Amino acid sequence: MIRSLRSSLPVYIIHLALALIVLLPLAFALVSSFRPLDEIYKYMSPVTWKTFWPSELTWEAYQSLFTERGFGRTLLNTFFVGFSAVVGGLLLGSMAAFAFVYFEFRGKSALFLLVLLTFMIPFEVISIPLYSLVNQLGWIDTYAGIIVPGLANGLVVFLFRQFFLELPYSLIESARMDGASWGRVYARVVMPLCKPVTVSASLLIFIQQWESFMWPLIATRSKEYKVIQVALSDFITEYGTYWNEMFAAAILSVIIPVVLLIPLQRYYVQGIANTGSKE
Amino acid sequence: MRSKKMLGPLLLFLLPALTGLFLFKLYPIGNGILQSLYTTSFLTGGQSFVGFQNYITLFQDPVFWNSLKVTLLFNIIINPLQVVLAFLLALLLNARIKRIAWFRSIHFVPVAISVPTACMLWNIMLSPEQGVVNSILAAFGLPEQPFLGSSTQALGSIIAIASWKGVGYWALFLLAGLQEVPASLMEASSLDGAGRWRQLIHIIYPMMKRPLTFIVVSITTANFLLFSPMYILTKGGPENSTNVLMLESFNSAFLYSDLGRSSAIVVILLMLTLTAVAVQFKWLKASH
Repeated sequence: MIRSLRSSLPVYIIHLALALIVLLPLAFALVSSFRPLDEIYKYMSPVTWKTFWPSELTWEAYQSLFTERGFGRTLLNTFFVGFSAVVGGLLLGSMAAFAFVYFEFRGKSALFLLVLLTFMIPFEVISIPLYSLVNQLGWIDTYAGIIVPGLANGLVVFLFRQFFLELPYSLIESARMDGASWGRVYARVVMPLCKPVTVSASLLIFIQQWESFMWPLIATRSKEYKVIQVALSDFITEYGTYWNEMFAAAILSVIIPVVLLIPLQRYYVQGIANTGSKE
Repeated sequence: MRSKKMLGPLLLFLLPALTGLFLFKLYPIGNGILQSLYTTSFLTGGQSFVGFQNYITLFQDPVFWNSLKVTLLFNIIINPLQVVLAFLLALLLNARIKRIAWFRSIHFVPVAISVPTACMLWNIMLSPEQGVVNSILAAFGLPEQPFLGSSTQALGSIIAIASWKGVGYWALFLLAGLQEVPASLMEASSLDGAGRWRQLIHIIYPMMKRPLTFIVVSITTANFLLFSPMYILTKGGPENSTNVLMLESFNSAFLYSDLGRSSAIVVILLMLTLTAVAVQFKWLKASH
């Protein structure tokens, strides 16, 4: 027992150091976001315990974000965009996967390969020609412009297909024998069994959307449609000296994914494990 | 008969997703390649075919060559760095020690941190005048550093920030792979007297080929196309030292309204990325 503890002590020390590298900046941001601005500047240098520990706590930064900087609207936009992306993405992805698993048609495997190919295409490569297309559709500076181009997602199709392949085919067969339409089989038989993969896919889509920056930056111009990552970027340019508010904005942008991921961590990892190893 | 009856449901289920993928993923790639052969007239907004003129102009432009140099330098450093760190982290997170689940959760946190958020935090902490990192350096009697404000340190600072956010995320994929290496294999080999290092080379590495290939390729594409830290933190400066091709392409399109130039840069960047990925595939296959 003691021997094993001694041999694993260096591992613990390395782990502790790494944990601090990840967590300390976040802790510093969290604490600083509750301090008055002048206090942050006053104690920054030279370093004392007061640099890291507040003598006074205040909601000032958060209040100002919501009253002065329009962060309420920004958060609402981001939630709306994320929620729509999840609903639309799940529907399109699961339906396509359903067709790939249960229907026979010519060119199926070639088409599926194409779907896989699309999820290897990084968004940055297509963002500029995509702008021209979305502009022609008249969707610049609309919610549709942010949401619709990302709805069809090869990764989601892939995740659902993996899951459908593991469902017993007899379930579908017997439902069809009973005269259920394909729509009914999809909605009443197959999808209710898909809770784990639905949660995984929803999380992947929502977090991807929450953290997306380049496309919303390109597709929107006005404050009305601003999402959180674009708001953060603008904040650095416009109010770069309001450190307490910057820390507060960063905390807001981290806290939502954290709240979702803490209880649902294993679903996210499941989704990731499926993409990484089975491909 | 059967196929006729199936056609309705088939189209209903498949068409929405396929339309989306074709329209918003595949068509823009083709269109981008096409755009790189055209130039948009400033006055009329009409387009005229110019062949490879956009590329020829690029190859005569020192700004492009500098951008290419910065992109290659950035990637030659950051890609191996992130792969090695992610692999080491995954090995550490796979250690059979008590409370390992806590440490795993901690390194899960970067998933929740977006690149712009990471930029925002480190932008404040690395501030040349009053940043906390400089205060800490000063407390240890070390000279204060300009970080993002200097042409020699900006790229390095961005590499550090991107890796702070990225390594934990990539390690997740490798950890999932490591957990599929059978424990019995490891035990048998250590009974046979194989040391840690030999286990790593002869058992873990071959079994990890698939997730390793996946993250090597993903890391490479992500970094070749990385845009937001440069856009948010440095706008390509100081003195163009962080002006990667992706940013130059973005600026060509949205700052100078030169879609032809912008598309040509993206096509070149895509070629570079594909070449890098092809070399990696070959190398990862051959090394075993």
